[in-house]
Amino acid sequence: MSFIKRNKWPLITILIIIITLMFALTVGFTIGFLSENPDGLERVLIDYYGEEWLDNLFSPWIPFLSWLNNDYIAGIVGIVLSVAVLMGTFYLFSHFKKRKLK
Amino acid sequence: MHLPDGLLDPITAIVLWVVTIAFMFFGYFRIGRIFEKEDSEKIIPYIGVLAAIIFAFQFVNYPIPGGTSGHLVGGTLIAIILGPWASVIVLFLILVIQSLFGDGGITALGANTFNMGIIGGIIGFYLVMLFVKVLNFTSLKKELKLTIATAIGSYLAIILASFICGIEIAISGTIPIQFAVPAMVFWHSLIGIGEGIISALIVFYIYKTKPDFITTESILGVI
Repeated sequence: MSFIKRNKWPLITILIIIITLMFALTVGFTIGFLSENPDGLERVLIDYYGEEWLDNLFSPWIPFLSWLNNDYIAGIVGIVLSVAVLMGTFYLFSHFKKRKLK
Repeated sequence: MHLPDGLLDPITAIVLWVVTIAFMFFGYFRIGRIFEKEDSEKIIPYIGVLAAIIFAFQFVNYPIPGGTSGHLVGGTLIAIILGPWASVIVLFLILVIQSLFGDGGITALGANTFNMGIIGGIIGFYLVMLFVKVLNFTSLKKELKLTIATAIGSYLAIILASFICGIEIAISGTIPIQFAVPAMVFWHSLIGIGEGIISALIVFYIYKTKPDFITTESILGVI
């Protein structure tokens, strides 16, 4: 709780930015600004082997969240996961570094 | 530039995993500077913001002429804000999350972190530093020097990362080097324009509104 109290404004900033990003994704997907075309690496592979080859590459696992077919939902889940994992990791770094300094 | 599973041969994938782990291990000990200040915890929520921005921008594919698309990688951008070593760790964590969605392979995670975090982040950072030093000879304002250096450094870092990625694919025997490298560099020389513009705009905005958040200002030597 003390962490939340001390960092009230940064946390509010995060919320505002996340909401803005979600809004930007919604607008992007709705008006079709975002491209469904392959990216640079995929383009090179498709040009050489074709699209079917790229879809059939061997993978040793099934990605846990690949069932999320809706780009917008996937975007929101990804943003929330990224914030949680990054903040958690750097909070632990900070905690260990400070304990070491003491 | 997210390499999927099955594209690299096992030896290349393992070597790049080992290199990436070594860089992250070393990076953990080098990022202490951020947390030495008494109120350093305040930076953590901003790291969360940065994570959200990078994930969202990597998710947003903008159209590129010729039937392809591009998205922000953000390695150089993170390196400028948090430092080159932190960028490797941040990119690794974001790439782990993206691999959960099937964007980039789990066996290729080492290679992806190498290309985007080490080449894009660390090399990109030193490219920006070089251009800052060059621009210090001009009478431009500090924020403009950093913005222009960021644009050029990010652009070149993407091209370099695509060059290295092309070599990795060729070494793995997937595509001959004479096709892989020129094609990768050609497409990323177009995609990199977006990377340079987005990175420069974000750095300019942060430098104008919250310059403290750019923790590497003194290392970059902006005067």
